[in-house]
Amino acid sequence: MAVAPGVRDASEVAEEISSGRLVTEEMLLNVGPQHPATHGVFRLLATIDGEKLVDAEPVIGYMHRGYEKLVEQRDYRQITNLVSRMDWLSNIQNELPLAMAVESLMEIEVPPRAQYLRVIMCELNRILNHLMFFASFGAELGAITPTFYAFREREDIQMAMEAATGGRMHFGFFRPGGLKEDVPRGFIAQALKGVRQVIDRLPDYENLLLGNEIFKQRTIGVGVLEKEVAYSYGVSGPIARGSGIDFDVRKDEPYLVYDQFDFQVSTAPNGDCFDRFWVLVHEVVESAKIVEQAFEGLPSGPVMGKVPRVVQAPVGEIYVRSENSLGELGMYLISDGDRRPYRLKIRTPSYNNVSALGHVLRDTFVSDMIAILGSFFFVLGDIDR
Amino acid sequence: MPEIALTAWQILLVKVLVILTIVPVGALAGGYAEHKVMAHLQHRLGPMYPGGFHGWATTLADGLKFLYKEDIVPDAADRKVFSLAPAAIFVPVLMIYLVIPIDRNLIVEDLDVGIFYLLAVGSISTIGVLMAGWSSANKYALIGALRSAAQLIAYELPIVLSAAVVAMYAGSLSVIDIVEKQNFPFAIWPPGIGLIAFLVFTTGAVAEMTRVPFDMPVAESEIITGPFTEYTGMRYIFSHMFAEMGHMVAFAGIGVTLFLGGYKPIIPWSPLEVVPGVIWFGLKFALMIFLFLWIRPTFPRVREDQLQKFAWKFLIPVSLVLVLAMGAWVLYV
Amino acid sequence: MAVDERKLSDARKLSDARKSGFGLGLLKGMAVTLKHLFKHNTVIQYPDEKQDLPPRTRGVIALKEENCTVCMLCARECPDWCIYIDSHKETLPPKRAGGRPRKRNVLDRFAIDYSLCMYCGICVEVCPYDALFWSREFEYSEYDIRQLTHEKERLADWMTTVLPPPELEQGADLPGQPAAAAASATVEATGARPANLTSSAVEARPEQAATAPREGSFTTEPARPASSLPPQEQKRETSPEDAQPAPGLDTEVKAAQGLPGATTQPEPEVTLGAGRAAESVTQPADTAQVGSDATSAPEGQPPQKTPSVAAEPAVTAAEPVSQAGLRNLGGQAPVARPSTEPAGVAEDPEAAYRRVLQEQASRGSSPQVAEARAKVARVKAERGMARTATPAPATAPVQSAPQATPTEPEPSGAPEAQGPAPEPGPVAPTADEDRTDG
Ligand code: SF4
Ligand code: SF4
Repeated sequence: MAVAPGVRDASEVAEEISSGRLVTEEMLLNVGPQHPATHGVFRLLATIDGEKLVDAEPVIGYMHRGYEKLVEQRDYRQITNLVSRMDWLSNIQNELPLAMAVESLMEIEVPPRAQYLRVIMCELNRILNHLMFFASFGAELGAITPTFYAFREREDIQMAMEAATGGRMHFGFFRPGGLKEDVPRGFIAQALKGVRQVIDRLPDYENLLLGNEIFKQRTIGVGVLEKEVAYSYGVSGPIARGSGIDFDVRKDEPYLVYDQFDFQVSTAPNGDCFDRFWVLVHEVVESAKIVEQAFEGLPSGPVMGKVPRVVQAPVGEIYVRSENSLGELGMYLISDGDRRPYRLKIRTPSYNNVSALGHVLRDTFVSDMIAILGSFFFVLGDIDR
Repeated sequence: MPEIALTAWQILLVKVLVILTIVPVGALAGGYAEHKVMAHLQHRLGPMYPGGFHGWATTLADGLKFLYKEDIVPDAADRKVFSLAPAAIFVPVLMIYLVIPIDRNLIVEDLDVGIFYLLAVGSISTIGVLMAGWSSANKYALIGALRSAAQLIAYELPIVLSAAVVAMYAGSLSVIDIVEKQNFPFAIWPPGIGLIAFLVFTTGAVAEMTRVPFDMPVAESEIITGPFTEYTGMRYIFSHMFAEMGHMVAFAGIGVTLFLGGYKPIIPWSPLEVVPGVIWFGLKFALMIFLFLWIRPTFPRVREDQLQKFAWKFLIPVSLVLVLAMGAWVLYV
Repeated sequence: MAVDERKLSDARKLSDARKSGFGLGLLKGMAVTLKHLFKHNTVIQYPDEKQDLPPRTRGVIALKEENCTVCMLCARECPDWCIYIDSHKETLPPKRAGGRPRKRNVLDRFAIDYSLCMYCGICVEVCPYDALFWSREFEYSEYDIRQLTHEKERLADWMTTVLPPPELEQGADLPGQPAAAAASATVEATGARPANLTSSAVEARPEQAATAPREGSFTTEPARPASSLPPQEQKRETSPEDAQPAPGLDTEVKAAQGLPGATTQPEPEVTLGAGRAAESVTQPADTAQVGSDATSAPEGQPPQKTPSVAAEPAVTAAEPVSQAGLRNLGGQAPVARPSTEPAGVAEDPEAAYRRVLQEQASRGSSPQVAEARAKVARVKAERGMARTATPAPATAPVQSAPQATPTEPEPSGAPEAQGPAPEPGPVAPTADEDRTDG
């Protein structure tokens, strides 16, 4: 591979310079599929002119696992564990829409305790996810320390989740009708401890990143995603809210028992990397609030509704959506009355969010590209599911 | 040294040997310090096993590991330049150590133009980095090399200017003279000027070492390791690890010499003179190193254009003003 | 509300957050990292220290071979189809004279390919006879992906590390359950468990007390026979150092009874079974009393005077109280042990090292692999967590009588060779039936 494609005559170059038409060579840069900034196999076909990105095209599909087809061959219990693996950072939230879809087709009533626990687990998972992106965004900008701090915080919540579900990442805990089993004793205390610790230490982290001038320089005004563009790409989640779109399925179309809690949807108007990150950090606080409230109001009772031995959704179709950590997660379930779905269409947040990347990346710097990729908070598994 | 009757060649040999041991040992120790300090700043333990006690042999083991690694030269690379580049980067680092006085008589060579030499030699590495980036035949390496060259040149100036401020104060270019002139460390006295000069110097030094927050040239999350992307094994540690660590140790030494009063006590108080100069030097040196290590995990990195702006629009004007102020001080105080 | 917004920094307001702090932010950041330099470190140094994983942790799947009726449900439900089961039918003589001969399934092979397993837990969930359990054990990596298919011997080994299900959080509803099962579980809980609870395992790790087995916790899960393993096993698992005194005593017991020492060549299981039976006979019936006393002593240490009784019978004696326990253990916990594993409860680290090395060599493993394994064995032995043989849990003399006269001394440890025959066919081995049969 020749870096410099044809060497030109010096006089020729001089002439070009003097006439003001020095043409610089554009270079095609493959960012990925294996690249530290892409958190997985994601490829960005970047055309760069010096440090400037002239054009960028996200290429996805490197780890397509064919879940939508696969689930047609698996029964609902197995699917729960499969969809859990789509977005490997918000696993339990992936299981939720599936469970809800089957429940509404089968008309199963989910007992309130299960609903509360579901809310708690989803929010804990959201905190885990957001902390993870807090860490990785810092790392992408060169600040390595937030990673370690965030992982320490994650550990406590993670242990609480493990005590309840038995898994660290792939929880597999939601079932059509409720939960697999009730949470073990000590779960509340452990989870609350973890959450409070996060809130206690959040100021430190904000000082470390949000308040840092270098960080601000790197993010403010960088990678602006306008509201209209966000709408047109179907962007959702913290990224949309960072562009001033006040949309949160938890508020706008409450599922589970979200309507009983007092929390805010954080939005920021500017749509740049900083705002996206700011929204992310703030959602941690809101999630913590929800967890606290949910634990306060946690009713007693069973965690499993009346579910027949064989989960078999009746003929019908339904679209269920929920607010995943990264945006709206929708599942369109068509059942032909079998133990398996006839078709399950999954609308994942990262997929839509990433499609806006090409627009945002145009005319930025190579270093900005990294900041933007980091601030788009995508999970590859969620894109190529 | 002069008391022992040695021929010039023998003396030269000893000096070369001293440098050849100090630098790798310093780099290894620096590497270890970096591992540990950074780990604790980050709420970790860092290496705990190699060598037994708190993993003291980590960097040694790392170095050995790199020795065993395959030395890969990419097919498309310009072989000669590619293999020469690490030397071009590393040798200048060695040469810096020539003029750092650890104690009044513990200096390899007290050159008359000490500072001048220091700064001139320090910037040779730039060429090596460019060579490495260009010859690797890798786009990331090329971007990194260009970034690196631009950055090293931009930050050379503030360093030179801040050193010039010190030289003006001392009225000499010899490092020994400079140290001797500082009753209080220069960073404390003359008030204001010295401190700002010290800060300018530290910033420039961090940038010269291409460490966070000025590590755009080797930003691992963007362009892998910049110019050193294609390097493996020994070449990699010499061009990247040893060069960075060697630079860090060297700059800490320069900083101590120029701004912190070198081997002299912190304040001119006779009881403190009892403590040997080496210890004073060591203390200040450790402080300096810690400062470098502390900065690294705390900050995100500055973008390339911001980095240039910062150098040209802020640091250089500031250091020019410092030169003026120093001139005024020398003339009127 | 504990989320106090005032405590959070000025970054609360976006407009404030976006303002430049003129370098102050840099200093604040440096203060944060400096603060952490002096903070107590919470890092766990993994191979030396171990995290206390919760009982529900999906580490590895353990198989209780005696319970498996080869119903194949697990293999069918597994999303990855990574469970391999082979079996054959065996005809047993009729129960009563003139009756029809009975058929039962005999498990020949039960293997899980852990390179495929996605740890979903469906197999454990669906198993109707409680033959599969999750264990917290997670250190079973191999050098070759093909070696990750673990056979039933290995799976059965892991049974010793299974923890009882944790107690449920306040307000949890007890699912509807058959009264009988609940009752038996309760009996058991009052009988066997408390002894374990008061042991130092809990005191040593108060943080685990929350999740530690506790009286009454089993009533909530009738499907999972709570006494799936003897208390001592749990004790060892939860805190290896507490179990330290036991191994020595065990060897003592064995030495006294002329049993093969811990470090000798592998013995056929049958011999062991017989030995165990003999051992149980030699022990007076009232060991139950002594045993429970011993374990409920505050330190969990056996009283000085009765070492030989305390170490093992503390476990064994508590068992007979519950029917369920007997049913599950069936007096044949040792059965499934791979024949290559010695019967020793714990052994001298060096001896373990040499033994495994030899074993591996004879199996034809490469020297590196052999050595690595041997090292693991040594470390395990050092920490008192040798892959322990279940020390003959059901030793109530009457019940274990059949064990002493195995139908066919088969060294490979084929399940049918020993112990009371489980109920023929894929029927839950209900306790009463089982016993009358024997
Ligand atoms: S845990 Fe899941 S994947 Fe693994 S063996 Fe059991 S059913 Fe199969
Ligand atoms: S009894 Fe349990 S382990 Fe045995 S085959 Fe059936 S489901 Fe699998």
